[in-house]
Amino acid sequence: MLRLDGLSVGYGGPLALQDLSLEVRDGELVSLIGANGAGKSTTLKAISGLLKPQAGRITWGGEAIGGLSPRAVIARGIAHCPEGRRVFPQLSVRENLEMGALLRRDHGGIAADLAAMCDRFPRLRERLSQAAGTLSGGEQQMLAIARALMSRPRLVMFDEPSLGLAPSLVEQVFAIVREIRAKGTTVLMVEQNAMAALQMADRAYLLEAGQLVQAGTGAELLASPEVRAAYLGG
Amino acid sequence: MDQALQHLVNGTVLGGTYALLGIGLTLVFGVMRVVNFTHGEFYAFGAYITYGLIVLGGVNYFLALPLATLAGVALGALLEVALLRPMRKADIDSVMLVMIGAMLAMQNLEMFAWGGVAKLTPNPFDGSPLVFGPVSVLPLRLFVLVVSVLMLLGFWLALERSRAGMAMRATFQDPETAALMGVRVGWVNTATFALGSGLAAASGALLGPVFMTSPTMGDLVGLKAFAIVILGGLGSLPGATLGGFALGFVEEFAGGYLSTEYRDTFGFLLIIAVLVLRPQGLVPARERIG
Repeated sequence: MLRLDGLSVGYGGPLALQDLSLEVRDGELVSLIGANGAGKSTTLKAISGLLKPQAGRITWGGEAIGGLSPRAVIARGIAHCPEGRRVFPQLSVRENLEMGALLRRDHGGIAADLAAMCDRFPRLRERLSQAAGTLSGGEQQMLAIARALMSRPRLVMFDEPSLGLAPSLVEQVFAIVREIRAKGTTVLMVEQNAMAALQMADRAYLLEAGQLVQAGTGAELLASPEVRAAYLGG
Repeated sequence: MDQALQHLVNGTVLGGTYALLGIGLTLVFGVMRVVNFTHGEFYAFGAYITYGLIVLGGVNYFLALPLATLAGVALGALLEVALLRPMRKADIDSVMLVMIGAMLAMQNLEMFAWGGVAKLTPNPFDGSPLVFGPVSVLPLRLFVLVVSVLMLLGFWLALERSRAGMAMRATFQDPETAALMGVRVGWVNTATFALGSGLAAASGALLGPVFMTSPTMGDLVGLKAFAIVILGGLGSLPGATLGGFALGFVEEFAGGYLSTEYRDTFGFLLIIAVLVLRPQGLVPARERIG
């Protein structure tokens, strides 16, 4: 289980995230929603170790992990699928998947997972030896998701997985996220598409200008007048 | 025609070591975004270590070559940890100034240690050329070519086929995402600089017995390394290989047919021509994404 207690993070200027507390329980799908610049991505980057917290604690299964390197965090079973897909454009699709399993040493298991990803995403199998930069946006998003899963995470964090995708693909990506959770992996998702994010979520948190303004089940936030007014178009 | 063949052979020999030199420099720029002015000094360092080991230490030539390369790797790692690591967040201009300072320090230390008189590294090869039909080549030069090509191949295989090579290429393309995959980016930077320096030291060690070794040789060599890298496209590994051979051929042919004294000039004229006609280089590195 992941817990943030009074987390504050800055980039040198004013704090991008102030005194945030939240938790993600085992097996849950938790959504973080809010406008651009609300601090959603900052939260994920602090958890995965790309940013150092200025104050507060991050604990994972009881262990304090705030300030650890990204390598130490992923080794503890937390994968971060970054915003904008960020596949390695000149690495082949296969190499991108292998990068996801960089810290694993069980070669048989890696090969089996690679085959399983190809079964799940047949488009990737067709393009295994192709450079990832030549894939379409939707294919790159599938690759980014598959790459994150290659580390066999217990918690996977998605940052804006639907960003910039055609509506039919958005539906597909959300179906995959639900499927990942259904198979037992805990999910923490940042998403601007608040409606979809709340409908899928067990619980959700609403951030505004770096601060937590509302927390509850997905259904509660969907019903909240403030959320409806600001994020769901009334 | 025979003369042309001979120049082709000589150009290939020269091009192999130029390619080694260029790959080291382009690798450091590509991964670290550091303009490495010390590159030519690592070449001189490799040449002097080889000379010292053979003449002062009585070490066998074939053992001195890998030892000098390793010394270059070690000094490169030290320089990265001592100077570049603390400046990781500094802007590119400040890092350039520090590297220029390091270059001047290295060059003057070489002058201090070895004196200003040029040295010729002895080598165990027979001085009479091998004759293959119309062309002849000195055994030493043939050896230099074979070792350069083997090193280029070995380097390419390590980069393309090993896990560490894959992690290095991923860091080259997107350091932040590579970190998310578990790559120790700081370590990759040190390894890259050490490897780049080792390649420069290796080419210096190889060419020590071919040309004279002097404290200021790093200037021209460093300039040529930049020329090779710009010729091929900054940050492009195939480009640096191609650029190395291109410069070798141009110098050799222009030196042979036009003027020996001005052979270095023709190499730089080629760079000017490429910059005017094709500023992105012969094989530009594809755009960085993210």
